[in-house]
Amino acid sequence: MLRDRMGKRVWLLLILPGALFVAVFMLIPLFSIVISTFFPENTFTLNNYGKLLESVYFQQVFGRSVRLSLLSTLLCALLGFPCAYYISRYSRHKGVMMALAVFPLFTSPVIRSFSWMVILGRKGIVNQFLVNVGLFSRPQSLLYNEFSMTVGFVQLFLPQMILSLLGVMDSIPEDLTEAAGSLGAPKLTAFLRIVFPLSVSGLVTGAVLVFTGCMTAYTTPQLLGATDTQVLSTMVYQYAMSLRDWVQASAVAMVMIVVTMLVSGVFNHLSKKINPLAT
Amino acid sequence: MPLLELKNITAGYGKNIILRDFNLQVERGQFVSLLGSSGCGKTTTLRLIAGFSEPNAGSIIFDGRDITHVPLHKRNFGFVFQSYALFPHMTVFDNVAFGLKMRKVSKEETKRRVMEMLALVDLNGFEKRYPREMSGGQRQRVALARAMVIRPDLMLFDEPLSNLDAKLRVKMRVEIRRIQQELGFTAIYVTHDQEECFAISDQVAIMNQGVIEQMDSPAHIFNGPKTEFIAHFVGFENFFDLTRQNGSLTTASGAVMAVASDRPGERFKACIRPEDVQIHPAEADVPNALPGEVLVTTFLGRNIQYNVRTPVGEFAVKAEQGNVYSIGSGVTLSLIANKIILIDSKE
Repeated sequence: MLRDRMGKRVWLLLILPGALFVAVFMLIPLFSIVISTFFPENTFTLNNYGKLLESVYFQQVFGRSVRLSLLSTLLCALLGFPCAYYISRYSRHKGVMMALAVFPLFTSPVIRSFSWMVILGRKGIVNQFLVNVGLFSRPQSLLYNEFSMTVGFVQLFLPQMILSLLGVMDSIPEDLTEAAGSLGAPKLTAFLRIVFPLSVSGLVTGAVLVFTGCMTAYTTPQLLGATDTQVLSTMVYQYAMSLRDWVQASAVAMVMIVVTMLVSGVFNHLSKKINPLAT
Repeated sequence: MPLLELKNITAGYGKNIILRDFNLQVERGQFVSLLGSSGCGKTTTLRLIAGFSEPNAGSIIFDGRDITHVPLHKRNFGFVFQSYALFPHMTVFDNVAFGLKMRKVSKEETKRRVMEMLALVDLNGFEKRYPREMSGGQRQRVALARAMVIRPDLMLFDEPLSNLDAKLRVKMRVEIRRIQQELGFTAIYVTHDQEECFAISDQVAIMNQGVIEQMDSPAHIFNGPKTEFIAHFVGFENFFDLTRQNGSLTTASGAVMAVASDRPGERFKACIRPEDVQIHPAEADVPNALPGEVLVTTFLGRNIQYNVRTPVGEFAVKAEQGNVYSIGSGVTLSLIANKIILIDSKE
């Protein structure tokens, strides 16, 4: 009994500093934001959200944000899956490959966005290549649009996807694939029926990370997008800093939180359908 | 004609060659075990037969057909893994049905065959469970059912019982043997457990460093090991040299030994099990006598083991309790003539 109580107290001590920090610096401000959107003048109102949802401009920005985030998530999944599979199954230098996959995380998103500006600019190597090959007669505008934003997002968050997938794939024993093979499954079937369903939990973790990252990323859409390609995060900034409308900014932020949670929920639900045991 | 034949197989990775010029023949309907310590190449051999890997050289003939390069999913061999390798995201039913689904067997027949197989391995009513909800023994039976339901041309077992506790191991090996005799399939069984493989096999191939040292029925191997390695393996602990002099076999110390074996040759390595050596008081008049001195006594329950120094080396002797000889006392050992096995001396 004594040990139980001691154990409980130690547990409290361990969790307290972190919990306090989160409460003071995150939960309280977050809560005050929520309150401020419903009680701008001390009376309850849904006006702030009504105004927002009615605005065609907001609808466009909202649509763009969700669309680009989903697209980037899909691209990260498509690019990350083979990559993680290769590293997990076939690579002889796993450490090196993992370091390479994670390497982009060592540079700041600002630097990475600037690099894309150089690469995708009118005189960048992509345009030069396209013109030299003869696909286009004049350089194309690859920058400051949804294309460059998506490219930026994918490059920014691909490592998260690869790492999440790797964690799960490494725990799938090789002999499961061999067992499927000995039972008559060709390699592709074995992959689709065994490796893929068992990787789904990693795919979901990765997808939630990438989607949340894309929704909340600020520098990348700010630097690689333009005024006519605003997303929710840049909109929050605009409301708060340029228009000094903190209440409206908070309302947009709330929408972002709700969307992120909803989409994460949907991802989780989908994964349960593919693999009922996925956590 | 053997059902399966491995011809001059070489296998390994890079400079690490595990099998060199390896040969094996398995007759139809036989239960053949590959026995050996870890690293002897037994699992490599099994994985080659299954098609998990390909040999660097040599060929694998099955039923008169060269299958060396046939991909594993086209071989129709059942494989039972040490780790069971059940699909964790599928129920027992789906696990067992997997191979039938790959063969596009109709739904009704799949259901019938899966249920039949689960009944055979005594798992009625478990079809909706997931592997993680089952015990090790149950999982292994699911793995067995999953491999057998496809009616494989050959069953391959890779140390299937080594993750189970001792009691269950004995039960399961009887079970495997029963099912094999009932269905009549040919099986190759890899193990490092001598008792296990002697208990269930028609033929045992004892492997050492990538070579089969002897392949024979369990009784033949047990009573007539052909090499020193095998003799060690099946419990011979006492080894000594014998040379033929004037028509009789003589030890290095000059003692003449009567040996039942009429094996031709001049120089032999002779061996005998500890339980086939009798211990008597010093100077006793017994056949095949060797004088000695007790070095160590060990209490083994039913028996007492004496380690005795003799002029031809140290002997381990297992004796019934009764006459107890203390450390340092002189004794005479008597080697039972028809229990002495002669092996060709390597020198």
